[in-house]
Amino acid sequence: MSIKFHSDEWIKELCARLNANEAYAKAAANWEGDNIFIIQPDADYPDTTYFYINLQHGKAYDARLMNSLDEQKALFTTSAPFNTWRRVLEGKLDPLQALFSGKLKLVGSMAQIQRNPKAVYELVLVAAQIDTDFGS
Amino acid sequence: MNGYLGKILRVDLNQASLWDETLNENYARKFLGGSGLAARYLYDLLDASTDPLSPENPLFFLTGPLVGTSISSAGRYSVCARSPLTGIWGEANSGGFFGPELRYAGYDGVLVTGKAEKPIWLSIVNGQAALHPAGELWGSDIYTTQSRLRTVLRDQKVRVACIGLAGENLVKLAGIANDHGRFAARTGLGAVMGSKNLKAIAVRGSGEVPLYAPQEYKAVTKQILRLYKDDFLAQSLRQYGTAVGVNLSHMLGDLPIRYFQLGEYAPADDLSGVDLAEKYLTRNTACYKCVIACGRETHSAMYNDSKVDGPEYETLGSLGSLLMIFDLEAVIHAGHLCNYYGMDVISLGVTIGLACELFERGLLTSKDTGGLEIRYGDAEMVFRLIELTARQQGFGAVLAEGNAALADRVGVPELSATVNRLEVPMHEPRAYLGMAVTYALSPRGACHMEGDMYTLDLGQEGGEEIGLIPGDRHENTFEKGRSAARLQAWRNLYNSLILCQFENPGVHLLLEAVNAATGWDLDAEDLMTLGKQIVNVKRLVNFKLGLTKANDRLPGLFLKPHKEGGSAGFTPDMPTLLAGAYAEFGWDAQTGRPPEDFLL
Repeated sequence: MSIKFHSDEWIKELCARLNANEAYAKAAANWEGDNIFIIQPDADYPDTTYFYINLQHGKAYDARLMNSLDEQKALFTTSAPFNTWRRVLEGKLDPLQALFSGKLKLVGSMAQIQRNPKAVYELVLVAAQIDTDFGS
Repeated sequence: MNGYLGKILRVDLNQASLWDETLNENYARKFLGGSGLAARYLYDLLDASTDPLSPENPLFFLTGPLVGTSISSAGRYSVCARSPLTGIWGEANSGGFFGPELRYAGYDGVLVTGKAEKPIWLSIVNGQAALHPAGELWGSDIYTTQSRLRTVLRDQKVRVACIGLAGENLVKLAGIANDHGRFAARTGLGAVMGSKNLKAIAVRGSGEVPLYAPQEYKAVTKQILRLYKDDFLAQSLRQYGTAVGVNLSHMLGDLPIRYFQLGEYAPADDLSGVDLAEKYLTRNTACYKCVIACGRETHSAMYNDSKVDGPEYETLGSLGSLLMIFDLEAVIHAGHLCNYYGMDVISLGVTIGLACELFERGLLTSKDTGGLEIRYGDAEMVFRLIELTARQQGFGAVLAEGNAALADRVGVPELSATVNRLEVPMHEPRAYLGMAVTYALSPRGACHMEGDMYTLDLGQEGGEEIGLIPGDRHENTFEKGRSAARLQAWRNLYNSLILCQFENPGVHLLLEAVNAATGWDLDAEDLMTLGKQIVNVKRLVNFKLGLTKANDRLPGLFLKPHKEGGSAGFTPDMPTLLAGAYAEFGWDAQTGRPPEDFLL
């Protein structure tokens, strides 16, 4: 059964899947940093949604839907309009192309990102495996 | 003639004579500058009988219409001649400040023919050119040469392009250095300079580049500058230099390992640009007007190197992962030695890599190398081989001829990692299949500066109106061949204007800049047409020098898939990809010959 994208259930599902994924655990073994995903409004999605997830050494913790950025600070923020997230998660837009073209904005320690590109990539692959209901 | 100084300095070293020649405006309009304009000139001056190391081989230093203006990224110059390494079209370009300074001194370019009786150097100061005996400068390394000429001319702002010991010794991997340790490295043009007994060219001037619409030009260049503030690639390059690409390339199977035979190997991540910045970076260095400053000045306590230029991504690959050396300090030192002697790190690394592989297979033994055991992972041996090569001593004299010559000598041409005898750079054509087209069709042999599919297919945008659209890097189609050809035309345009390929303002803004500089009324499609003309004129030079369609190929090494890593299982479908490229360029499908009507 599909899970609604902009929901607490979805980010918790991602957290569970990351913790069960060996490839992610290996790729992100050196990753230290929590992340806020921001889903920005566009023509198909009027709201802004914030997800929080803490990623440490290949494991994920404390995943939840946030009401606003005031609730929590994080080392990284990853933001993009709803349809960009959707295209990435549906496999229609390569996450690296999204990042390098500026469609997906990842802000935080450039050192961590550049040293651990596979951690970012594997995370997206795991997220893409979730049967997601994008609402249309 | 807006955008140009309108003058070429002609230097005949046989007669020790110097004179000004008016720039051919028709050629400039069709081939812009840099390697494109040089190719049009050299098309008339070269033929199959021209020995690359003879006085007859013309050596052309050229700038482009945007060089030395306010635009960020136009600090480059090209050097072109028939290559002694490959025997075909030779070109290399370099950043820094030499190109702009040559224009301020009053010239768009310098065309050198002949050979000086004794070693000399050339000065060009505010329109006045003179030849000087090199004296004890001959035998100096590149750093000493630049420093001494600034002292002789009593001006610390003098810019110098020069050769080191390798160029003097006619090593076919020798490059031309400028602005401390920047290099026009590829195709052995340092040896051409050495063959002419020309140690250096020193330039200084206070002139300006005439622009058609200075205010509009200034406005568009400001607009371009603003783009780089938040650009992910620009930020990455600023922080970590070109070495930033190591980890990502490794992940994607783009970083060559163990002489192109491994697709992934965990220790390769130790060559990270992040580690380089955190442990060994002294400061960033920038070319003329560049806001990115990807240049690295590094140091190594272990090897007592206090001021090293680089290493670049290409150095970390060719003297690192390719040779199974994963110690950053060792690669810094190896790169420094290449700089000191004035050699191309890519060509030398790939040549040493072949020697390692031949040893591994028992095809080369210490009996062949004067007692040397050349093994993967042996950094000390690499240091020794670099010095022997620069001095043409012992087995170094064999390496000095390049990878293809070594493969021929041992009787295994199939193990050569070259296209048309130029060593393959550090981007795997199995990771980005479009690179297979770029390498196979590059006029100077395997060259990553002829079409960076690894940037386009990684998401580089801004060229949609001329068909430069990021795609699937593993697509093996006719259309991918077309895409690679369009990018090759675009980068040939860049190499003629001459711009740095790390700054990509998009077609629209670049077009505005070119039109405001020159007063031409070009549209986007005209830029693509010019790019294709430039590719075509270089191809016609090569056809004149003996190349045929049969030379459009990739070495067999790259036609076997990797078993591991981000490129595992992929090989380029060359007939399909090349057919797409031929169609895009409008070449004859049977002969591969381009049209010639644009030459006049």
